Amino acid sequence: MNYMELLGALAPEAIVVLTALVALAVDLLVLRQAPQNARQVVAVSITAVGILAAIIALSVAAPSPPWMDGLLINHSTTAFLKQTLLVLALVAGILSIQSRFTQHTGEYVTLLLLSTVGMMLLVSSDNLLLMFVALELTSLPLYVLTAFNKESPSSSEASLKYFLIGSLSAACLLFGISLLYGLSGGITWTQLATTLRAGSEPIVYLALILTLIGFAFKVAAAPFHLWAPDVYQGAPTPVAAFIASGSKIASFYMFARIFMAALPGTAGSAAWSGATPGWVPLVAALAVVSMILGNVAAIAQRSVKRLLAYSAIGHAGYALLAILSNTEQGMGSLLYYVVTYAVTAMGAFAVVNVIERDVQAPNGESLTDFAGLSRRSPLLSLCLLVFVLSLAGIPPLAGFFGKFYIFIATAQSGTSQGLIWLVMLAIGTSAISLYYYLQILKQVYVVESVGQPTPVQLRPAESACIVAMACTVLILGCAPNWLINRFSPNSTEVRRAGVITKPSTTLELAAEIHPRITAPLGTATGLVQKRPQFETTTANAQ
Amino acid sequence: MTPLHYYLIFAALLFSVGLAGALMRRNAILVLIGIELMLNAANLNFIAFWRYSPTANELVGLMFVLFSIGIAAAEAAVGLAIIISIYRHHRSTQLQHVDRLKG
Amino acid sequence: MLAWTIYLSFLGAAMAALAPKDRPTIARWIALTTSVLGLGIGLAGILHQTNRSALQTIVDVPWIPAIHARYLLAADGISLTLVLLTGIAAVAGILFSWNITHRANQFFAFYLTLIGGVYGVFLSFDAFLFFVFYEIAIIPKYFLVAIWGSTNKEYGAMKLALYSFVGSALVLVGLIATYAHAGSPTFSLLELARQPLPTSFQVWVFPLVFVGFAILAGLWPFHTWAPTGHVAAPTAASMLLAGVVMKLGAYGALRVAMPLFPEGLAAWRDPLALLSVIGILAGAGIALIQKDFKFVVGYSSVSHMGFVLLGLMTLSVTGLSGAVLQMFSHGIIASLLFAVVGRMIYDRAHTRELSALESLQLSRALPFAAITFVLASLASMGLPGFSGFVAELQVLMGAWKTFPLYAALAGIGILIGVAYTLRVLVKAFFGQSNGTIEAATHENYAPISIPERIGALLLLGTSLLVGIYPRVLLDLILPSFETPLMKPLLKGAGL
Repeated sequence: MNYMELLGALAPEAIVVLTALVALAVDLLVLRQAPQNARQVVAVSITAVGILAAIIALSVAAPSPPWMDGLLINHSTTAFLKQTLLVLALVAGILSIQSRFTQHTGEYVTLLLLSTVGMMLLVSSDNLLLMFVALELTSLPLYVLTAFNKESPSSSEASLKYFLIGSLSAACLLFGISLLYGLSGGITWTQLATTLRAGSEPIVYLALILTLIGFAFKVAAAPFHLWAPDVYQGAPTPVAAFIASGSKIASFYMFARIFMAALPGTAGSAAWSGATPGWVPLVAALAVVSMILGNVAAIAQRSVKRLLAYSAIGHAGYALLAILSNTEQGMGSLLYYVVTYAVTAMGAFAVVNVIERDVQAPNGESLTDFAGLSRRSPLLSLCLLVFVLSLAGIPPLAGFFGKFYIFIATAQSGTSQGLIWLVMLAIGTSAISLYYYLQILKQVYVVESVGQPTPVQLRPAESACIVAMACTVLILGCAPNWLINRFSPNSTEVRRAGVITKPSTTLELAAEIHPRITAPLGTATGLVQKRPQFETTTANAQ
Repeated sequence: MTPLHYYLIFAALLFSVGLAGALMRRNAILVLIGIELMLNAANLNFIAFWRYSPTANELVGLMFVLFSIGIAAAEAAVGLAIIISIYRHHRSTQLQHVDRLKG
Repeated sequence: MLAWTIYLSFLGAAMAALAPKDRPTIARWIALTTSVLGLGIGLAGILHQTNRSALQTIVDVPWIPAIHARYLLAADGISLTLVLLTGIAAVAGILFSWNITHRANQFFAFYLTLIGGVYGVFLSFDAFLFFVFYEIAIIPKYFLVAIWGSTNKEYGAMKLALYSFVGSALVLVGLIATYAHAGSPTFSLLELARQPLPTSFQVWVFPLVFVGFAILAGLWPFHTWAPTGHVAAPTAASMLLAGVVMKLGAYGALRVAMPLFPEGLAAWRDPLALLSVIGILAGAGIALIQKDFKFVVGYSSVSHMGFVLLGLMTLSVTGLSGAVLQMFSHGIIASLLFAVVGRMIYDRAHTRELSALESLQLSRALPFAAITFVLASLASMGLPGFSGFVAELQVLMGAWKTFPLYAALAGIGILIGVAYTLRVLVKAFFGQSNGTIEAATHENYAPISIPERIGALLLLGTSLLVGIYPRVLLDLILPSFETPLMKPLLKGAGL
C-alpha cells in the first residue's frame, strides 16, 4: 500500500492535527505574555483557518474506495458528517472566547481539535480497532476538557464522574470487542457480518451486551446516563455544548453502523408480540428507559443545563428507535435527527453560555436567571424559542421532522407494525416533554425580570453563530429534503455492508460484500461453532 | 497445549474481579485499578483468541493488544491527573466526598 | 390565491414582531391590515369558486419525498366556510384588542401566527401538512394566554397547551400507524381515503385520531381545558379559542378522522354520539350555576360544540351540513359573547362576578354593550333569525332520524341554554340596584370605542345574515359532501 495515498485519504484529519499543534505552539511560544483575550482570539482564529481548510479538503476529495477492508472509509455521508463535526468544533471554540474558565488557551484548543479528530475517525471506519482507538481519542480529551475549569470543584467532580463511568464502559466495550473478535475471527465489518448469527452461542449475547454498554454510555442512554447531568452542569459550557453535539453525532453514527452493518445476523426483534433475542430488543429496552426517565426527570430540574442533559437522555431514546428499526430509512432518519439535534443543542448551550456570563452566579445558571429575557434581548430569546421548540418537536422546526421521520421509520420497520408500541411510547413521552420546555419559555417570555431590564452583552461573532444556528434549525425543518439527500447517496454503501439485505445464506452475503472472503469462509467461521473446534482448527494451523 | 477456554475463563474471572472492584470501591484510585484489570482481561482475550485463531499470522489480535495497552496508559494518565485535581479541591479521593452535583 | 391567507398572516406576524416595542399603534395597524386582507382573500376565494361540488386545488407540489409528503393546499365549501369564519373572527379579535399596549408587538405577532396556522389547517389536504399547521397553532395560544391573560393565567395556559399537545399526540400516533399500514405510503387525504384499511385496524386507530381532534373541540369528558382556558385568556385570545380553535378540532375530526376510517367510525358512532349529548347537557347544566360571567360563556361553548359533534355523528347531509353551519355560527356568536364579557365589561368594571355585576346596573352604564349582549344572547339561545337557529335545527333534524333519544336530550339542552342565557342576561345587565351605585362609577367607564362598535356590528351582522339567509353558506357547504373525499361518509350511515 501507498502511504502517500493514505495521507491523501486522511488529509482532513491531518490538517486538523496540524492546526492543533500550530495553535499550541503559537500560544505557548509566541503569546505567553499576551493578554488572555488576545490569546483566545488568536487561538480561535488559527482553529478557524484550519477547520476551514479541512472542510474544503473534505469537499474536494473524491470518494475513495475503502482502505484495508474498511479500516478507513470515505464517502459523501462521512464527508458531510465530518464537516458538521468541524463546524460544531469551531462554534465551541468561538463560544469560549471571553470566557474565564481557563488560562491555558493553547491546550484548550488543542484538546478540542484532537477530540474532533477522534470523532472524524469514528465516523469513517468499518473496523473494530480503529473504532476503539477513535472512541478513546474522542473521549480522553473530553475528560480533560470537562475538568478545565480548575477553579471550580464542580468541574473536576464532573470530570471524575465522566472519566470513571466512561472508562468503565470503555473497558466493557473492549471486552465485548475481544469476544466479537474471538467469535468471528476478524475485526472488520465484513468478517463480523458474515460469521455472527443469533442463537449460535450464548456468548454472542454477552458480547452484544458489553458492546452495547460501551455505546449506551457514549450516547447517554439510560441507565448508563449517570454522568450526563453532572457533566453538562459542571463542565465549562462550551465543552458541555461540544459533548452534547459533536460527540453525539459521531457516537450515534458508529453505534448504528456497528449494529446495523456489522451485526445484522444477531438483530432479533422487539415486536410487542413475538420478540426474539438479539440486539434490537436490548436497544429497545434502552430506548424505553431513556425516553421515560429522561423526560420525567427533566421536569424536576432547576438548572437549565441539567434540564438539557435530561432532555438529551430523552432524545437519545428517540434516536435509539431509529437504530432498532434496523433499516436504511432508519439510518437516514437517525442521521437527520442527530445532526439537527446537535445544531439545536449547540444553539441552546450557546444561549445558556451568554446568560451564564451575564449573571456570573457562583453555582452556575438556574431557570430563574432567564426571567424576562425577552425584554433584555429580544434576539437572543427568539433564538432560544426556536431551539427549545425544536427540542420539543414543534413544527416547522427541524426537531419536529426529525422525530416524525424516526417514528415513520420505526413504524414501517418490523413485520406487521410490531414496533408501533415503541412509537406510541415515544409520542407519549414527547407530549410530557412539552411541559418542561415550556417552563424555560415561560421564564423567557412570561415572567418579568425584577427591576429595570438591562440589555444582555453579546459579542458579534457569538450572536452571528447563534442566529445562524437558529436559521439552520428553521430552514432544515421547512425543507428537510436538503439534509436527507445528503445521506441518501451512501445508502448503497450501507446496504453493501448488510444493513437491510438479509441474504438467505452466509455465503451469498459474503459474496455480495467481498468476493475475497468467500473462499476461506469455512475456516473463518470455525470459532463460532462448538468449542472442541478450536483445538482442531489450531491443529490444522499448526 | 492448554485449551483455549482456560484462558477465556481466566480472562472472564479477571474481568469480573475488575468490574466488582470498580463498582464497589469507594476510593477513586482503586476504581481506576479495577478498570485497568478489566482492560487487561480484554487484552488477555485478544491474545488467546489470536494465538488459537486459524489466521494467527495476520497478527490482528496482537495489534489490537498493542494499541489497547497504549490507550490504557493514556487513560491512566488522564485519570490520575483528574484525581489529583479532585484531591486539590476536596482533600480526598474518596468518592463519597465528591458529591456537590446532584439532582 | 387562498394560500396567501396563510403566508400573509405569517408575514404579518414577522412584521409585528419587528415593530417597535414602544409604539403599539404600528403593530396594531399591521395586524388589522393583515387580517382584513386575509378576510378579503377568503371572500374573494368564495366568489371565485366556480365548480362548487369539486375540490379546488390551490398548490400541489412535492415537499418531502422521503415520506411522500406533499405541499397540498386545496379548498372545498367546508374549508371556505371556515376560512371565512377565521377571517371574520381574526378581524373582530384585533378590533377588540385595540386597547392592548403591554408588549403589543409580541401580542400581535403571536396572534397572527395562530391565525396563520389556523388558515393552514383549513386549507391542507395532506395529512402531514395538516398536522404541521395544527401544531403550529398550539404554541402561540400558550403565550397569548400566559402573558396577556387574567384569572389563573399560567395554569390555564399550561392546561390548554398540554391538552392540545396530548390531543395532537393521539392524532400523530394514528397518522403514523395509518401511513405505515397503507398499501402505498402517502399522506394525501384523498389517496388515503381511497385505500381500504382493515377493519380491525380502523377500529383502534379511529378513536385515537377522532378523540385527539375532539379534545380541542371540547368533547366531554376531555373538555375541561376549555372553560379554564377561555377564562384565563385575554379577550382576543378567548374569542379565537372559542371562535376558531375549537373548530380546528371539529374540522380535523370531520376532515381526517371520519373519511379515513369509515368502518372505525361505524363502530364508534353510538358511544361518540352519546358523549356529544352528555357534553351538550353537562355544558349547559354547569353553565347554569356558574358565578363568573366568563365561565358561563366558556361552558356554553362546550354545550354548543356538543351540537357540532352530534351533527357529525348523524352522517346525513342535513346533520353534517348543520354541524358545519354550527361551527360557523358558534364561532361568530361565541366571539361576540367573549368580546362583550372580556372587553366591554371586564375592562371597565374589573369584575366578572355575576353577583357584583348585579348591583352595577350595566344596562344603564353601557347601553351599547347591553344591546349587543341581548342580541348575542338571542342568537346563542337559537332564536329564529340568527345563525344558531338554522344550525341547531339542522343538527336536531339530522339526529332525529338516527338517534331520536339523543335528539330529544339535545332539545332539552337547548332549553337549559335559554335558562342560563336569560339568567346571566338579567344578572349582568338588568340587576336590581340597591341604590348604592353612584353615578360616578358609571362615569369612570370609558365609552364603548369605535373599534369595539365596528367589531360588534361585524359579528352581529354576520350572524343575522346567515340566520335570515342561510343559503349563503349552505350553498357552499352542501356541494362539499359530493366530493370524492366526503361522499363516502354519507354512505356510512347505512353501515
